[in-house]
Amino acid sequence: MLARLVVASLLALCLPVATAHAQNSLVVSVWGGNWKDTVDRVIGKAFTAKTGMPVEFEVGGTIDRLAKARVAKGNPLVDITFTTSHVGRLYISDGLFAPLDMARLPNAKETAREALRSEYQMGGWSYVYTIVYRPDLVKEEITKWSDLWRPSLKGKIAMPDFDPSHIITIAALMEGGNETTWQKGQERLKALKPSIVAFYSTDAQSQDLMKTGQAPVQVMLSVNGYHLQEQGIAVKLVQPKDFPGVVGIDCMSVMAGTKKADAAHQFINLALSKEIQTELAKALKAGPVNGGATVPAAYHGQPGIFLTPAEWKERAYSINDEVRAKNLPAWREWFTANIVK
Amino acid sequence: MLRLAVLALLAFMTLPTVVVVAVSFNPTAILSFPPTGLSLRWYVNVVTYPQFQRAAWNSLLVTAGAVALAMPIGTAAALGLARGRPRAASLWATVLLSPLVVPGVAAGLGFLIVGAALGLLRSRSVLIAAHVALVLPFVVRSAWVSVRNLDPTLERAAASLGATPWRAFRRVTLPLLRPGLLAALLFAVIVSLNEFVVSLFISTRLTEILPVAMFTYVVNYTDPTIAALSTLFIVGTFLIVWLADRFLDLGGVFLHHR
Amino acid sequence: MRLLLTPALLVVAVFAAALSALLRYSVLEFVPGSLQTGGLTVANFTGIMSRQYLGAVWDTVLLSLATTALTLVASYPVAYALARTPSARVRSALLVLTLAPFFTGAIVRTYAWMLVLGNTVVTWPVPMLFTPRGVLVGLVHFSMPTMILLLAAAISHIDPAYERAAASLGASPARVFRRVTLPLSMPGIVSGSVIVFAWTLSAFATPELLGGGRVKMIANVVRDLALDSFNWPGGAAFAVVALAVTMALLAGVGRLTAPADRSP
Repeated sequence: MLARLVVASLLALCLPVATAHAQNSLVVSVWGGNWKDTVDRVIGKAFTAKTGMPVEFEVGGTIDRLAKARVAKGNPLVDITFTTSHVGRLYISDGLFAPLDMARLPNAKETAREALRSEYQMGGWSYVYTIVYRPDLVKEEITKWSDLWRPSLKGKIAMPDFDPSHIITIAALMEGGNETTWQKGQERLKALKPSIVAFYSTDAQSQDLMKTGQAPVQVMLSVNGYHLQEQGIAVKLVQPKDFPGVVGIDCMSVMAGTKKADAAHQFINLALSKEIQTELAKALKAGPVNGGATVPAAYHGQPGIFLTPAEWKERAYSINDEVRAKNLPAWREWFTANIVK
Repeated sequence: MLRLAVLALLAFMTLPTVVVVAVSFNPTAILSFPPTGLSLRWYVNVVTYPQFQRAAWNSLLVTAGAVALAMPIGTAAALGLARGRPRAASLWATVLLSPLVVPGVAAGLGFLIVGAALGLLRSRSVLIAAHVALVLPFVVRSAWVSVRNLDPTLERAAASLGATPWRAFRRVTLPLLRPGLLAALLFAVIVSLNEFVVSLFISTRLTEILPVAMFTYVVNYTDPTIAALSTLFIVGTFLIVWLADRFLDLGGVFLHHR
Repeated sequence: MRLLLTPALLVVAVFAAALSALLRYSVLEFVPGSLQTGGLTVANFTGIMSRQYLGAVWDTVLLSLATTALTLVASYPVAYALARTPSARVRSALLVLTLAPFFTGAIVRTYAWMLVLGNTVVTWPVPMLFTPRGVLVGLVHFSMPTMILLLAAAISHIDPAYERAAASLGASPARVFRRVTLPLSMPGIVSGSVIVFAWTLSAFATPELLGGGRVKMIANVVRDLALDSFNWPGGAAFAVVALAVTMALLAGVGRLTAPADRSP
């Protein structure tokens, strides 16, 4: 009996030594849920089929992936990061991205000019932040940003607490300012406070709030709105008449210090190809960056889908990335102190 | 009157379980109760989702390792407590049971700091060490209850008949302790399998155990997959607890019999 | 005795090492954006005094008090039934129903409440999910098994002869309860309440999932600081505060032998 105990203990001590080591795979940092599933299905599988290298994913929110990257600086735990174009600037200023080698990204030649956000960031797809609501729970049609301030919407609205850029900019625009003179919209925003019933920190929470009907009107990413429709929730995406939806472009970057720069570039190049871009646009219902990608006719003119320079101008408000990145901490602080609390 | 109140309260306690099981069979991604149909797609998702497969394997390794270490250590400690003077034993018992009062986040962050300093976070060793520390109090407590009820004259009788201390332990003490040790094993396994907070702090994507993987999933997805996984958990533990009560008389462990 | 205890004491020593690392970090300076630390400082503790953090502490205390009170009221009837029922089958059934949720783990139980509070069964007249009242429901549900077992153990120690004597002297059942049962079960009530209160103070999974980022208890703040901002010193300071309060409470009760899971 004692002998058995001793053997069992020794065996148990040996187990820890069996380090959990990853196979030789490419690690991609991306948002969870629908985003990871789509990147995995559309780009990841194609990449593995082509190169034989498996793809793994590190999921999380925009800001906490940045925090993790900062801590792992110089010895990154991931090889590629998907992030929003303005938060990408925060990565750049921290020296976390490696410059892209355009020679290894031949497909980039087919992409729109706006896609190359900087020498470190290659846009993958575009969308807008707009108003998404449930017509079955909100009878009066919503057609403009200013409709959010309707008294009948008191206690019905939800918006993200991790990035207030969109609503801050819209409020500023309404007062004749813009993202640089954002203070002009402060009083407007405070007036909106009673209408907000919840703030969501993750996409999943936003979807929960919509599904349960707790927050039937939300400032939401167009892609997430379409995802809800796919799941069977009848929501309407608004193309606001007073001010355009606020554009977002998610970008791919290679981490500084990665040992798989070659594979990383191959992955990004694949993601920019006509075929993959067509698939991505269809799967996410987002705007492709490759001009040659085919977008189903049913999507033309839909919120977040831009096919011509004219469409970009009319239906998309693009916040200056640098201004946005610079102001984001101040925006978050003011927003948390004055609106969330 | 009392009966009604008790029934209502029991309903409150079990309602969530019923809802989870029902929702797990819903054919669509919308969580609806009663379910709009019967589908096993979420169960299929549970079994085929790579991160759950990896997490289940990690859970198995970590729990097996932790229990294999905690059982002999805890049993030895219980025997040691029983043999000491009562006051000393009480003091040592307090020390041994102290991890129970520490908040999970405190232990979790502490282990994270130590693990990072020693560079051990990429292996499962920190997880196993933490689980041993967390599970040991339960083993000691359960074993001690059993040990205290041992009749010391039996061991002495064996000795007087010529048995060596080890023989006496193996042939007399251990078999008598078996029910208590089985209860200790049960507690250890269940506590380790469900351990979440501390593990959340020290897990990485590659080493995370099942509860941590479930938490990550809930935070990122809104489909009923976790309902399916929860149902599997619930069925499993109901079985174990029911069996334990039948064979180990759990009532005797918790209540005073008259 | 020493020899037999040594391995176990080594394990506790490892645990103590983790806690001392925590203590050390709580007085080191946080360097944003890295895991390196600066020199000795009390900034982490004074930082807790800021409005937003004190708010979390206050919310935690209030929620824990409310949870303890409601759990006590809800658990007593079940505990009484469990302790007093003559039928072994009923006792078994009650025990299984009480213990089983215990063993299914925090995530499963909290997720189940996400469904119920999320308008899956009925549409609640007021928002429940992602609100403090939703978290309260989850916490009470989580604490009931512990409270039931502790109360039942205390009640089972009361000699039914006392209750019978009071009844035979003409007291109504309500009177018997108020004058005999309740006072005699007071040790169980006190220890149960203190234990539930102490454990609820360090609740994590329930407020994290049911609170949706809006309801922050101390444990959630520790996680945010440590795992989102990588502010280990800041998180450590908070954790030390939670640790100190919990230990003081539980040491006061002197009961470390509760047969229960740890954090809700």
